[in-house]
This record gives sequence, structure tokens and C-alpha cells, in this order.
Amino acid sequence: MDDDLRRVIFETFSEVFETMFFTFLEPLEEAPGKEELGSGKFIEATIGYSGGCNGNFLFYFPWELGKNITVNFLGIDEGEVQDRQIADTAAETANMAIGGLLGKLDPGGTASLAIPQASVLDDFSPDALLGAPGLCMFNTEFGILWVSGTHA
Amino acid sequence: MAFNILVTDDSETMRAVIKKTVSMSGVPVGEFHEAGNGIEALAVLENTWIDVILSDINMPEMGGMELLKKISEDEDLRKIPLIFITTEASDARQEEAKKLGVAGYVKKPFQPEAIKAILYEVLEKAYEHRMAEKPDEEAGEDSDF
Repeated sequence: MDDDLRRVIFETFSEVFETMFFTFLEPLEEAPGKEELGSGKFIEATIGYSGGCNGNFLFYFPWELGKNITVNFLGIDEGEVQDRQIADTAAETANMAIGGLLGKLDPGGTASLAIPQASVLDDFSPDALLGAPGLCMFNTEFGILWVSGTHA
Repeated sequence: MAFNILVTDDSETMRAVIKKTVSMSGVPVGEFHEAGNGIEALAVLENTWIDVILSDINMPEMGGMELLKKISEDEDLRKIPLIFITTEASDARQEEAKKLGVAGYVKKPFQPEAIKAILYEVLEKAYEHRMAEKPDEEAGEDSDF
């Protein structure tokens, strides 16, 4: 993935996180060492597009990040948030982020966005993502958001 | 007059956020109705008086563009203003929606002000439609749209 695409991804994702969730992203150039990564509960969200151009992206949200953006999105207390709302917010985040990205990469609208999917991973270690194609990492107050994707 | 608003989006959380945004905008809302895709939206429209439709485009089973097409083909439904709230904001998609008679377009992610502004733009059309079809309704204190 070239630097221009990484820059567009960062700008697009930041707009989504800041506008909808009041959450700031900071791009990480290098992954933390394997010993620092550990494992835990994550939400995986996937979305693709096809047509004039093709792509597929996977998002891995640490559970606390997913919970925090859902609380901010819905304007509810942390104790009120339900797991299905967190998964739904992760899917909608992928939809907004990649929909926005596609609007920039394919302004003629030749490609169609698929329906996003999200699932809860009870014990996931992000070291499985190290070396994944097009890996982007964004530091947040609630852990690292991992995104792996391809665009052609 | 209070307006009945149909929110169509496959994301339950997005529907909740849009409803909250509309409620806080100052628009007088009678009832909110919800649908998870175009098919469900058409079912609501068949049985319920709706003044304004807020719809996503990217939805399973029947997306927003097909919903807009069905509405534009129906003599009665085409009078209901439909606003897209969507990530799909390419020029080509907006042009397609314009040809089908979309009343407005809000790009996700959105600021609450964007939804408020577009809603106030279409309320006059919604008000005229309601008065033409239901002239016996009380206009009430919010009738100056």
C-alpha cells in the first residue's frame, strides 16, 4: 500500500471517528512488539467493494474501543450499552470509513459497496495481523485500531 | 403540525442516532417509524402516513436507490420527500438520485446541523403534501413551513 493511499485512509477514517464518535486517531508507523500485544476481546468488521475497482478491508477494534465509540455514538451511559450495539457500531464504522474512502478513490461511482459484517472475537491476538497486506494501525485512547485492506 | 418521519437504515444504532439528531433539531415530530431496508420501508408506507423519509442507500435486500425508484414510480408516494443519509456520495450516485427526484443528500459522517438544514428545506413540501391530502387536519402553531 503506497503512502498516498495510507494518507487518504488516515484522513477519511479520522473524519469518521472525530465527527461521529469524538475519538482521535493517531497513525502508528510500527507495530508494537509481539510481547506487548497480548490477546483479548475484539470486534472484527469486514466490508468490500467491487466493480470498476475492487477492495476488501478488515477492521479489528479492541472491545474497549468498540464500547467507547458506541457510547459516544448513541449518547448513552456505559452501563446501558449492549453487545449487539457495539457490533452494529463497528459494522457501521466500517461502512462509513470505506464508503468515504471509496468516494475518494472512485469518484465516478463505478464500484458498489457491499454490506458490512461484524462479529465478536472473544480471544484474539493482533499478532496474527503482523505482515497482513495493507496493514494500517491507529492509536486511540482505548487501544490500537487495526485495519488490513487491499485496493486495486 | 407534527411530521411523521420514516428512518430507513440497516444499522439499528444509526437509526437511533438519526432519530436523536432529528429530535434535537427542533423539527416537530409526530411519530418516528423505522425500517431496515427498502422492502420494510415500502411496507410502512403502505400502511402509515409518512411526511418525510430519511434513508440510507447501502442496505440488504432492497437498497435506497431502488426504494427511491419504486417511490418515484408511485403517483402518491412520489410526493413524499426522501432524503438520503449515506456514505455513497459519489457525483455519479448523486446525479442518479437527483434524476429519480431525491429531495436531499447528506453524507455520512454528518454533523447534526446538516440534517437539520436539509429537513427544514423539505418541510414546506411535506406540509403542502399533507394539507393537499388531509385538508381537515389542524395546522397548529407549527404550520409556518
